[in-house]
Amino acid sequence: MLRFVIRRLLLAVTTLFAISIITFVLFFAVPSSPATVMCGKNCNPTQIAQVEHRLGLDQPLIDQYGTFVKGIFAGRTIGEGDFARECPAPCLGYSFRTDEPVLDIIKRTLPVTVSIVIGSAILWLLIGVSLGMASALKKGTIFDRLAIGTSLVGASLQVYFFGLVLLLIFVYSTGWLTAPSYTPFTQNPGQWAYGLILPWITLGFLNSALYARLSRAQMLETLSEDFVRTARAKGLPKTKVYTRHALRAAITPIVTIAGLDIGAALGGTVITETIFGLQGLGKASVQAVEDLNLPIVLATVLLAATFIVAMNIIVDLLYAVIDPRVRLG
Amino acid sequence: MRLKIGALGVGVLTVALVASGCSKTTDDSDSSGGDKAVNVQAGAISYDAADNKAPAPAVDGGQKGGNLGVFLPDGFEHLDPARAYVNVAQMADQLLVRTLTGYREDGKGNLKVIGDLATDPGTDVNKDCKVWQFKLRPGIKYEDGTPVTSKDVAYGVARSFSPDLSEGPHYIQQWLTDKGADYNADYKGPYNGGAALPPGVTTPDDQTIVFTFAKPHCDMPYAATLTTTAPVPAAQDKKTDYDRRPFSSGPYKIKSYQLGNSLVLERNTNWDANTDPLRTALPDTFTFNFTLQADAVNERLIADAPADQSFLGWQDVQPAQLAKTTTPDVKARVLEGPTQYVWYYYINTQRIKDLNVRKALNYAIDKDAVLKAIGGTPAGTPATTLLSPTVAGYQKYDAFNAPATGDAAKVKELLGSTPPPALVLAYANTPPRAAQAEAARKSLEAAGFQVTTKSIDPTNYYTEVGRKDNPYDIYLGGWGSDWPDPGTVIPPLFDGRQITPTGNQNLSYFNEQSVNTEIDRIGTLPSASDRAAAWAALDKKIMTDFAPVVPAYYDGAYTLVGSKVGNAFDSSAFGWPGLINVYVKP
Repeated sequence: MLRFVIRRLLLAVTTLFAISIITFVLFFAVPSSPATVMCGKNCNPTQIAQVEHRLGLDQPLIDQYGTFVKGIFAGRTIGEGDFARECPAPCLGYSFRTDEPVLDIIKRTLPVTVSIVIGSAILWLLIGVSLGMASALKKGTIFDRLAIGTSLVGASLQVYFFGLVLLLIFVYSTGWLTAPSYTPFTQNPGQWAYGLILPWITLGFLNSALYARLSRAQMLETLSEDFVRTARAKGLPKTKVYTRHALRAAITPIVTIAGLDIGAALGGTVITETIFGLQGLGKASVQAVEDLNLPIVLATVLLAATFIVAMNIIVDLLYAVIDPRVRLG
Repeated sequence: MRLKIGALGVGVLTVALVASGCSKTTDDSDSSGGDKAVNVQAGAISYDAADNKAPAPAVDGGQKGGNLGVFLPDGFEHLDPARAYVNVAQMADQLLVRTLTGYREDGKGNLKVIGDLATDPGTDVNKDCKVWQFKLRPGIKYEDGTPVTSKDVAYGVARSFSPDLSEGPHYIQQWLTDKGADYNADYKGPYNGGAALPPGVTTPDDQTIVFTFAKPHCDMPYAATLTTTAPVPAAQDKKTDYDRRPFSSGPYKIKSYQLGNSLVLERNTNWDANTDPLRTALPDTFTFNFTLQADAVNERLIADAPADQSFLGWQDVQPAQLAKTTTPDVKARVLEGPTQYVWYYYINTQRIKDLNVRKALNYAIDKDAVLKAIGGTPAGTPATTLLSPTVAGYQKYDAFNAPATGDAAKVKELLGSTPPPALVLAYANTPPRAAQAEAARKSLEAAGFQVTTKSIDPTNYYTEVGRKDNPYDIYLGGWGSDWPDPGTVIPPLFDGRQITPTGNQNLSYFNEQSVNTEIDRIGTLPSASDRAAAWAALDKKIMTDFAPVVPAYYDGAYTLVGSKVGNAFDSSAFGWPGLINVYVKP
């Protein structure tokens, strides 16, 4: 078990290093100059050269990468002379555009994205899995058809349609809700939930549709397996067969998908954040790409990759707990 | 002046959005405007004692109190007065800091440059525009109650030389050193052991500051409106962190500032209306909200919910939303008019040497279609002049009397038997610019030109067309004056002596001896109104005799305000509604 974890962690670190190098190289491979963007239109070559020097873009690529990595582990000094600033580890640099420490940007945008994802993931897993399981048990009934029909609608909708419709109905037309906003959970949990209810419903409903269909199919497959028939034949009560035997087997692939989905969503729910005007990680990263804001691009890409890698490890560990057939090693 | 840099709408995800935002940027604009309330303004530097008197004239129906809100997608890049160049930052800084001079606007298009910190727009000591003296008004205080001195103004100018704070305008620095873009070769600000005072600046006493230039700069009263001249006490200089909290000399100070989220201003109780000729400062607080996207801002303002009624939007209405702004109650809350930007199709005169062809291009391009591609009339109005209607001395004329939709027959008549040359049309690769390029291509081809279009990465667009040896014949570019005077338009765009191998602003690569000489002559005219008239005449001469560009359209602003915002109007100096004299209706 311990060996497994260590091996996976080493692999994760290697992956993240590879991703950081690729991002760095790709960023500089495209023919565009961040200094020109920062400097604006009324800018001449002398000024552009100065901006490049200030941002450290005049250094060889390998040195820039080295400085970046050193900053993460040991911190670094940014700027020269009176303008030298200590950037303690983990130093992700300063935004090219606003001079804000990238770590601060992550600190204020990540909680927004995490809040959106946690709430909606709870919704989609609860609704999706229970609806799917119930439909499987009541296969062929009106309930099953209704549930699956609804989920087909949900699965075919898009966030940028469904989200805008909800906004139109609940905010702009009726004024039943105020426009979504983010309040830190620690500040006011009620306001936190109230401000995020529309994004939660949007993401929760759309994703639950997929999970309902997936859970139903998995459950049906498991119910037709030999060990379920054996359990029933042994005279076990129906509920015990479903919950103790069938559910555990059926849920394994759902955990895999949920892990990946949540990991990917934590990296930024760009469309949801954009539609509801929430300043999350996704919006910050897209804005950074448009501005050629390298420190933010690197940080958000690495963070997104970390979430996916971490969720993968967690899913593998969960397997061992959920499914008795899986042994780690 | 640069306009706010906003979302370029690149990337698959943003494009997928129903109403993805493409706000005004340095290389991209799909803003809106109209020809209704054209703020043609006379533009004047006023030494009249009545104009320069504090307090500022009372606002009709103005009410003190309340919170005035501003929706601004993505927030400010810099509030540090040395670093503020984008119009929204300059307008917000007007609440926080005072400058030597400033604009008094009445909302009817009249704009006057008067003394703000200074008692008047500056004394031209030797009547040769080389030595400028400003006397500060007595009794002006910072937020901590200490008096504002001329030494603090000098310190503010000094720190603006620093390469680490270089995002702001560079006029005064270049004039003081007479070294052009190399202005900080010898002086890099008061840091790292640098002198406390920049070259050419002296402060004989606490109320007086004198600027000495090597060459005449009669525009100094205009240049002094820029936040370069805002006072910064040396003891408060937090260097790059000053951006987060500029020390207030204006009517408001920063209460809280969360980047990417909000900025809240509260009253600076040490500000005295009797020392300030510009600001009525009626609301008790200002709240800037940075969390909404362009379309959401205007969706909220159209809906005018109670919580949003005292907000205004620093964001043009998106083309898809225009239809919703036609109902009478919304229409009444629309602010529209030309900005200081004019968009031109620059003709590369190194490649298109034949004047007749350049004239023909002026007939060929369908300006109407180019505008329709980005939203039609609200986005702007077809242009015929080089100068924007917002600059001093603007004279309306049309050198060719071509219809806005183009005149293919006239092209053939002009070119006669010469076959129209093949053209390379370059454009920045964003959805609005691509649509415009397509419209231009169609009209050029209808007039008989063969056109190859070439897309350029939007962040690289001005770098590419700014290379002297660029392989393109015709390309769209926007230019806005830094202050409403033709001196910030015609010399940078049409002085042939400023052409360099890269980084050009004279994108037609137009170099004509007679025009260069005239530019020099006008620069030394002592009277502002004589200069304005001479610039207008030169504008007409350049188009009539040389046609180095096709003036495409005057960029328009088209923004919304909530129903409880009073006295909001588009500033001739900044394009969007200014804040120093707005109020909240009860």
